[in-house]
Amino acid sequence: MKQFRTILNFELKNYFKNKVFVGVTIFLVALIAVVMFFPRLSASFQSDEVETPVSEKTSVMLVAADNEENAAMVQEVFASAFPEYDVQIAEGGLEAMKSQITSGEAECAVALDSLTSYTYYVNNLSMYDETPNRIDAALQSMYRVHAMVESGIPAQQAGEILSAEIYSVTESLGKDQMQNFFYTYIMIFALYMVILLYGQMVATNVATEKSSRAMEVLITSARPTSMMFGKVIASCLAGFIQLVCVFGAAFLCFNLNKSYWDGNLIINSIFNMPLELLLYMLLFFVLGFFIYAFMFGAVGSTASKLEDINTSVMPITMLFVIAFMVVMFSMSSGNVDNTLMVICSYVPFTSPMAMFTRIAMSTVPAYEIIISVAILIGSVLGVGVLAAKIYRVGVLLYGTTPKLGNILKSVWKA
Amino acid sequence: MNLELKHIHKSFGEKQVLTGISFLAEGGKAFGLLGRNGAGKTTSIRILMDVFPADSGEVLMDDKPIDYSKVGIGYLPEERGLYPKKKIIDQLVYFAQLKGMKQADAVKAVDYWLKRLGMMEHRNKRLDTLSKGNQQKIQLITALAHNPQIVILDEPFSGLDPVNAMLLKDVVKEEIARGKIVLFSSHQMNYIEEFCDSIAILNQGKVVLSGDLHDIKRNYTRDKLVVRSEQAGRIAAALGAQCKSIRQDELLIQLSSSDEKQNMMQMLTQKYNIDEIRVFEPSLNDIFVEYAGDQEAGGAK
Repeated sequence: MKQFRTILNFELKNYFKNKVFVGVTIFLVALIAVVMFFPRLSASFQSDEVETPVSEKTSVMLVAADNEENAAMVQEVFASAFPEYDVQIAEGGLEAMKSQITSGEAECAVALDSLTSYTYYVNNLSMYDETPNRIDAALQSMYRVHAMVESGIPAQQAGEILSAEIYSVTESLGKDQMQNFFYTYIMIFALYMVILLYGQMVATNVATEKSSRAMEVLITSARPTSMMFGKVIASCLAGFIQLVCVFGAAFLCFNLNKSYWDGNLIINSIFNMPLELLLYMLLFFVLGFFIYAFMFGAVGSTASKLEDINTSVMPITMLFVIAFMVVMFSMSSGNVDNTLMVICSYVPFTSPMAMFTRIAMSTVPAYEIIISVAILIGSVLGVGVLAAKIYRVGVLLYGTTPKLGNILKSVWKA
Repeated sequence: MNLELKHIHKSFGEKQVLTGISFLAEGGKAFGLLGRNGAGKTTSIRILMDVFPADSGEVLMDDKPIDYSKVGIGYLPEERGLYPKKKIIDQLVYFAQLKGMKQADAVKAVDYWLKRLGMMEHRNKRLDTLSKGNQQKIQLITALAHNPQIVILDEPFSGLDPVNAMLLKDVVKEEIARGKIVLFSSHQMNYIEEFCDSIAILNQGKVVLSGDLHDIKRNYTRDKLVVRSEQAGRIAAALGAQCKSIRQDELLIQLSSSDEKQNMMQMLTQKYNIDEIRVFEPSLNDIFVEYAGDQEAGGAK
């Protein structure tokens, strides 16, 4: 036990003395701080500019219609529908209009064939261009008002009928996916990054000790189990501390700037994450980390050279990436309780992410969570013992990377 | 204090590495473990240090099964290497702590050894800034700092310049004088001859020769003569197959038994002009080659 503590201490100090580790943590904290303070900063800049409000409309929208009466009517309607545009009636033919757009004088143009059909001209069509939809809506209401007026309904009444709004409230009795999607997404991503990064670090650490032959002294000074557990738990703590720093900084900065984020539903939903879920995150992070770090450590011990690590850890990385993909696709499909996810939430290598996602985004019966966590804990212990045995055999093997079968055979005998 | 390995068997998969190794090393004396590459020296050492268990056989300390929680062992492996990127003092203290020392004691012990080996100026440097010989001295500290009862040195002199080799010799002699069990494993026979009181020669997983080095040498059958003469050619022609030329003007004569040497000496001195004639006394090197080498090499000398 004393030996384990010595190793844990030494390995943990290695992380804190590592300039890259410290640098990345500071960078992430700074980045989070900048993001969280952004609304406050931009608000303070904007308040200076209030004195000289920008009244000019910079972008020009051209409209052309089959006759002047229609063109004038459309211009009037669009001017109120698109307050950000300076709506002008196009002069000259279609070609002149197009060249105005390509030259940048006008941003877009709407050429009406009739009141219900038009062509929308724009230079570069952006992915999220909402303008055609708004044009549709504007034209539609204009057409309807026009039709109602013609059939004898006063214009004002027609306007009221058309602009009648429906008020509704949705109350979710289980989980609200709109609320929890973003924080689940962030947590799954954090889980993925930390486990993969630190798992690889465990593998690299072990292989470095082996290739520098420090292992020759280590293996005769310390129990392989102490070495394995010391390394894995040190990495787990380092990863956890980094997460706490980053998320802690985010939480602190959010609370300092809370009022500035009032309007942002996503950010607010993230920081209103239930405590219960945070604890689940912690549980699955620790268990998921252990199961993968043990495997990474065992694989690291079988490699003789650092260069072999990348290919050796590939199967584990693949397994993990597949688990990540399944979870991500299920999340974006909106159905996190599909058969694949249910299976994945019991398989120990995928359950840390799959079960966590299901708990966060759907309602999972308690017994399912208990079974999943029990399987996971059992597997962590099993993989841990097996990994320590592989480690014991692996660290003394030099030369070509041995085949998995041979390792298991010698582990069986050891 | 004595350390005994008894009937140790070990195989890796199909391959039998040790087939019944036994030897006894005593405190206050150095013991030489010899053998060619792959003879089973490292495996024996690893079993002795409990890196892995033997298939059968036992390791005894003062006739009782060894208790690793009480007996300190220091080990200088043949494959040297520590953490190249870490500060020397940090890693030495770490290794001493792994062996059960308290932090403060570890620092004190490491500082003592850094001073003793003249490495104090490198205390706070990174290991990879040192030359290979100096790195080796640092590694020696990992084997000695925790004041172990058993010191195992695998090829300790390889890569050391004569001055450092001298320093190491003094250190080893001090350790022996303190009553420790010092186990040497080396191919450099001159060092073994200089330090070791007893030896064991391993060949293909078996101890082929063991015991007190002095006795081994004395009991070596004295049935060879070395003759130096200008007439070496004529002697060789007359004696035929039992003669072998060692170098110019020097012959090694194999006798049918050691009783014959008186007669042969008389005969040679009467018949030929002899510069020198003596009974052949094997060096450890000769003994090693004879026992650890294959049959043909053994018969050649």
